[in-house]
Amino acid sequence: MSGPSVNRRDVLAGAGAFVLGFYLPPRVSQAQTAPAHGAAWYTEPAVPEINAWIVVEPDDTVVIRIAQTELGQGVWTSNAMMVAEELQCDWSKVKPIYASANRDAREKAPAWTLEVPGDGATDPNGGGEPTFGNRDRRGGFGIPDSLYRRMRTNAASSVKDGRYYLQLAGAEARERLMLAAANEWRVPVDEITAKDSVLTHAKSGRSTTYGKVAALAARTPHPNPQAIALKPPEMWTLMGTEQKNLDIPMKVTGETKYAIDVRLPGMKWAAVKTCPVYGGDVKSFDAAAIRGKPGVRSVHQFPIPDPKLTRGRVFSGGIGVIADTWYQAKTALEALPVEWTVPPERAAFTTANMRAALTAALDAPGRVRVNTGDVDAVFARADRVVEATYSTPYLPRARMEPGNATVLVTDDRVDIWIGDQSPQETRFSAAQITGIPEENVYLHMCHLGGGYGRNGNGPQAEQALMLANANRGTPIHLLWTREEDFIGTTYRAMGMARLKAALDADGWPLALDVRTSMQQDGFGPDASFDVASRYYVPNYRFSNHTTNFHVPVGTRRGVGQAAHEFYRESFIDELAHAAGKDPYRYRRELISRTELPFKADMIKALDMAAEMSGWGTPLPRGTVRSIALEERGVETGNSATISAMVHTVSVSRDGRVKLERVDVAHESGFGLVNPLSVKKQIEGQITWFYNDAMHQACNIDNGAIAENNFNRFSISRIDEDPLQINIQFFPTAHWLVGMGHDRGTSVQAAIANAVFQVTGKRFRDLPLRQHDLTWS
Amino acid sequence: MPLVLNVNGAKHEVDVDPATPLLWVIRDSLGLTGTKFSCGIAQCGACTLHVDGQPVRSCSFPVSLAVGKTIKTIEGVSSDGNHPLQRAWKELDAPQCGYCQSGMIMSALALLERKPNPTDADIDAAVTNACRCSSYHRVRKAIHLAADLMKAEA
Repeated sequence: MSGPSVNRRDVLAGAGAFVLGFYLPPRVSQAQTAPAHGAAWYTEPAVPEINAWIVVEPDDTVVIRIAQTELGQGVWTSNAMMVAEELQCDWSKVKPIYASANRDAREKAPAWTLEVPGDGATDPNGGGEPTFGNRDRRGGFGIPDSLYRRMRTNAASSVKDGRYYLQLAGAEARERLMLAAANEWRVPVDEITAKDSVLTHAKSGRSTTYGKVAALAARTPHPNPQAIALKPPEMWTLMGTEQKNLDIPMKVTGETKYAIDVRLPGMKWAAVKTCPVYGGDVKSFDAAAIRGKPGVRSVHQFPIPDPKLTRGRVFSGGIGVIADTWYQAKTALEALPVEWTVPPERAAFTTANMRAALTAALDAPGRVRVNTGDVDAVFARADRVVEATYSTPYLPRARMEPGNATVLVTDDRVDIWIGDQSPQETRFSAAQITGIPEENVYLHMCHLGGGYGRNGNGPQAEQALMLANANRGTPIHLLWTREEDFIGTTYRAMGMARLKAALDADGWPLALDVRTSMQQDGFGPDASFDVASRYYVPNYRFSNHTTNFHVPVGTRRGVGQAAHEFYRESFIDELAHAAGKDPYRYRRELISRTELPFKADMIKALDMAAEMSGWGTPLPRGTVRSIALEERGVETGNSATISAMVHTVSVSRDGRVKLERVDVAHESGFGLVNPLSVKKQIEGQITWFYNDAMHQACNIDNGAIAENNFNRFSISRIDEDPLQINIQFFPTAHWLVGMGHDRGTSVQAAIANAVFQVTGKRFRDLPLRQHDLTWS
Repeated sequence: MPLVLNVNGAKHEVDVDPATPLLWVIRDSLGLTGTKFSCGIAQCGACTLHVDGQPVRSCSFPVSLAVGKTIKTIEGVSSDGNHPLQRAWKELDAPQCGYCQSGMIMSALALLERKPNPTDADIDAAVTNACRCSSYHRVRKAIHLAADLMKAEA
């Protein structure tokens, strides 16, 4: 039950670099802070809960607690749908609220909910194959056994990991409501039916509502919870239907409270500036220079956040200015002279020398992950060899809401208002930084203004905790400038790949050698290439090659997948061209020759996308079609997500690229929870990866990120959005991996291939806007 | 000396540095948090509101320039969240994270006030707000739907 023991003195000593500025803000009185405690968005129910996930109010309102964070992916709605499907309640009366991360620190999940029911990813009646199957307390690498299980929002796994225990929660509550009615009416429970929040006993003509028996149900234990079965997909009536997202009405009126909108009595604002070179720290600063600036309360130095609180990543030390308003704090900070201590080896990094290092890594021996047949022997006698080297840059998530958090530390309690993809880890950070145990840490979760990767959160919470801990009694709202957000985020690692194939006389590959390089701690080095080649080749070798860089890297709409699918699908197109074959039929034939477990699903996706697009029918000059496969997990035979897209692309003579139309053939597995949210995810990711293909890159200049605001870091606007996106689903016989990332990755290779078809020029380095795309 | 601002039909006195961007006065002095901060350099449009009916990027617009003019924020678009634009947005489930949507709606509103039947090209030219989730596909459809709703009700 108790958190990791924390010695307060050690913690304070650990933060020894903490130097206070010229004066502290006045301490807010207990009376002023009181309303902040337990206020905001998490409220204890006025009536007893049925279980930790569900409260039914007397007016039949069904409160469903959500343990993931709504960041646009629709989890607020899809998680509620999974509970409501089993609960069989009136969907129009469902009200989601965030689950309490504090309760999660103090209570355990019921033992009968810990095991995943059924037989894995290919069992339609079971709980599937959660990504994070093993349990651990902080949820860093598994699903915890704490009350709300895995509170992370990552790996596109909210449905995949949570479905079984959310369905179980709904089913248990339904059965207890039925039991309560049966007890009241003194009839056998199996004569009761439950539908749309109404309980009916047909024989006696009696009925009641969930709200009327909820209090009784709360006191009626389930006699045999181990026997509760999940509803299989063919019995779903709510899951699998398109439901409008429950968070939307407040998002069109400006009422949604994101973390940036949090206001508390006595709250002060913090603007921060950290060393732009990761691993750098403050050498000196002149607080006196901003003494007397309007609203300014204090100036603080804070150290590099302890890497064990930031998943091993080294960010920077910096300065925080606390003022009455954020604009005052930011303006004062801009006038504050700060000198940095920068490790010289880190300041020496530039994009050019990092590219050179990645290229050198490709030439050096790597870690061989797959080696089938005898690749070298085939190349030694090959008549025809095709080789290409591709690259992708550092890429941030650049969510629209800049990093921010509000923290109030008192002597025995921490309150944090934040949009966060990993509240269990932030709770741990709070305990480590303040010395106050996790059981006394309260997170007030807010919707996030964009997510795109848990590991991108950066040290916003840790910085705010350090500043608030030095200002106990005063709520401190830290907000990053956009420029600071580019320092505080993590990046998808810059990467390169060299692919080399030996072709037979008909143009089919005899051997394929794939080498990928990225920095040592880059995420997903094996994605898309591991275990076996997706496109058949009798001799296959895949190796990883690494080097050490200082940029903190993390997940970003997936791990290695997106870049690797650009490399793979580009190269397959190059091989089809070399073979003089149609790139759709070339792909189809090579997939059909494999032994991959889901090859029939991949072929289906290719066929369907080609047919939807009118593949092969004439187009105006300068407009072409390009096809590519997207897959995640096909090498495993377990969970997978498979789709194919045909992108119709025009390139004008003056080099303007337009994605005109996208035809998407996407599997639905055993079932999608909310197909509307799935469509939105697909639409959004097409543009996400269009940006990666055409526009986005962060370069490193003297060790720092060069493009650090939206004037230099481009985001496409509505004028570049394809006017036509056609999406069709087809059923398959496994559970899906998830929809939050790795969809639409095909647009990268498709655009590069389209540019080649139109202009005759092949570009292998993203983004494409850096190249001359004109033709005549 | 306090400045007088006319926001969503009500007069407010604020005592701030006249150089303060209108965004921060709206958010912090008046507590209207629907208008969002994102880039701070008038690039992304998350902070879009109307000054005398014109869409303005309020993060880079000094409050002093708004004195004596009519300011409208997302909170002033309708009293019940059912302006045709808002209904169209809900019908098409347009937002994802939603953070840019206040600005997006304010840009669309300025467009429809000027051009009740916008073409796709009109939308491309007028709605230059950045959306990182890429709600663009549904936003475009929602603008056309809102135009239809407004015509039906005219």
